[in-house]
Amino acid sequence: MFKYFKIAWRNLWRNSRRTIITSSSVFFGVFFACFMTSMQRGSFENMIGNMARFYSGYIQIQHPDHKETPSLNNSLLLSTELEEAISKNNDITHYQKRLETFALASNGEKSFPAIIFGINPQKEDKKSSLSSKVEKGKYLENNENALMIGKVLAKNLNINIGDSLILFGQGYHGVSAVNLYRVGAILDMPVPELNKSLIYMNLPDCQEYCSVNGQITSVVLMVKNTNKIKSVEASLKPFENENTKIYTWDELMPEILNLIEGKESSSAMVKSLLFMIIGFGVWATIIMLMHERKRELAVMIAIGFQKTALIFMMLIESFLIGILGILGGLGVSYGILYYLYKNPITVVGEMAETYRSMGFEPKIMFSISPEIFYNPAITVFVIFLLVSLYQIFFVAKLKVSTSIKS
Amino acid sequence: MNVIEIKNLTKIYNSSEVQVKAVNGISIDFKEGEFTAVVGPSGSGKTTFLNMLGGLDRPTSGDVIIGGVNIWQLSSRKLIDFRKNNIGFVFQSYNLIPVLTAGENVEFIMQLQGKPRKERDIRTKELLEAVGIGERIKARPSKLSGGQQQRVAVARALASKPEFILADEPTANLDSTSTTSLLELMSQMNKKYNTTFIFATHDQRVMDKARRIVTIEDGKILSDEYFDRD
Ligand SMILES: Nc1ncnc2c1ncn2[C@@H]1O[C@H](COP(=O)(O)OP(=O)(O)OP(=O)(O)O)[C@@H](O)[C@H]1O
Ligand SMILES: [Mg+2]
Repeated sequence: MFKYFKIAWRNLWRNSRRTIITSSSVFFGVFFACFMTSMQRGSFENMIGNMARFYSGYIQIQHPDHKETPSLNNSLLLSTELEEAISKNNDITHYQKRLETFALASNGEKSFPAIIFGINPQKEDKKSSLSSKVEKGKYLENNENALMIGKVLAKNLNINIGDSLILFGQGYHGVSAVNLYRVGAILDMPVPELNKSLIYMNLPDCQEYCSVNGQITSVVLMVKNTNKIKSVEASLKPFENENTKIYTWDELMPEILNLIEGKESSSAMVKSLLFMIIGFGVWATIIMLMHERKRELAVMIAIGFQKTALIFMMLIESFLIGILGILGGLGVSYGILYYLYKNPITVVGEMAETYRSMGFEPKIMFSISPEIFYNPAITVFVIFLLVSLYQIFFVAKLKVSTSIKS
Repeated sequence: MNVIEIKNLTKIYNSSEVQVKAVNGISIDFKEGEFTAVVGPSGSGKTTFLNMLGGLDRPTSGDVIIGGVNIWQLSSRKLIDFRKNNIGFVFQSYNLIPVLTAGENVEFIMQLQGKPRKERDIRTKELLEAVGIGERIKARPSKLSGGQQQRVAVARALASKPEFILADEPTANLDSTSTTSLLELMSQMNKKYNTTFIFATHDQRVMDKARRIVTIEDGKILSDEYFDRD
């Protein structure tokens, strides 16, 4: 065993420039793929995380028609059995009842559409640390009759802390809903869409404003981690009925999922192209290497080297080329990406605006999910497996008598 | 005692239109300790003959029996093992594994045979000293002259203690001094270890050393003569 490894190792450095160039191409391929995927995943994970935290939750319970027609007529009363099941489930870290409605917010001449969330401020803060987003004013107390509004909306309405705001909307069964509220806090949300339209108030106030009787539009659930979503969903499914339906975040935000899938498939194409180029490069190297050694291999077989042993030896060499590239690429990528994951890059200036307008937080976030690293590693491994088929074929077909003459 | 028995050996190449009978029904025996030159004009079939004899090129018909084994009836794996244990090869050039030192090249074949470390070390030293390369045991082939490389190749061929050694034009790439000394060496080894040598050659100096000369023409034996030399 060791004797083959020794020859393979020395063969590897026989043409060290070629080995280094080939390994480097693998290295850069792996690095580039990891970097690109990590950056993309990072921004998606961040976006999903923010949306889930501040808006949709990872799982929501709604009236089955609310998604299609988000009116108060499609609201629900949370059954005690379901609430009990939720509070007993250890994978659910937070849940909160919410009443969601639309209204026109106006201040003097200015009016803008707004989405109103009736919440429990204390619970909400535990769930999403919403109080840390307060830019001006004071975070809402439970039972305090005031509003917290997104900073862009506040700016558009030209409104400040302590000012009053009128909400015009439609309550339960079409009654008109109008009321005057004091602005208690201005929020800077990490989801640009929410900054433009968001208003929070206490759930009882909101229920009163909408003239509902204890109904809510949704229960928002947070889970321990994203891979618990499916099991939690399954455990709540039995409670579904004509008034109650369980949704997961991807059903609630199909636009985001589409966006992600679109971006990922285009980047998958770039990556395939990249690995195709690398694959051909590696293949060309191996073809060259095998042909250069043709005579030498024939001599080895002549003096008593089994072809299987020879194949084994050649495969060690080509896999070493691959492994050097893969491990180098993974090591360097992980190091750099881990740093960037811990220290995301803040985007400033015009770029920041572009980010916001596309619905992203103006931060370049990175992800270090394991599949970011093992996918390119597996791809490169497969490339080398395919190339090794060529090597096996080459040695198996090698005719000693004619090759020695060459 | 016959080391090699060859019966009605034939090799026909079917290249495009013409059929070439490279070896055309050769029957001959080789005895232990013989030092034989196979000679003949270019294209007469020497290489083809030696390759069939050494288990490298499959005959169209006929038998090669070495130490009682009909080698062309072995499976290809068995045939490779048979070569490893019974036949030494010296080719025209580039015989050695370039990434192994002279010593490792000689030792390697014994490693393939599964010989113990100690025995390998002793025999490697002994053989390289016998072929006059003892000083260069740690040198890679590229650092050795053509003549020195051929000497190492002879040492390697001897290392496995084969029944016989086949050498196809071993001196073709050597200058006259190296040719003379390589021949001297092979003849010494032949006497010292009583190993059978069969070599194909054009070289008059090689023929002058041979104790048996087999002349081939058009794939047939033209003459088979023995000489006394000392
Ligand atoms: N692979 C092959 N395919 C077709 N014909 C071949 C092949 N190998 C050899 N021949 C033919 O067989 C005949 C004998 O060739 P061989 O190489 O055995 O001669 P040789 O005596 O060794 O010649 P030289 O002294 O030039 O080395 C020649 O006519 C050659 O052209
Ligand atoms: Mg020849």
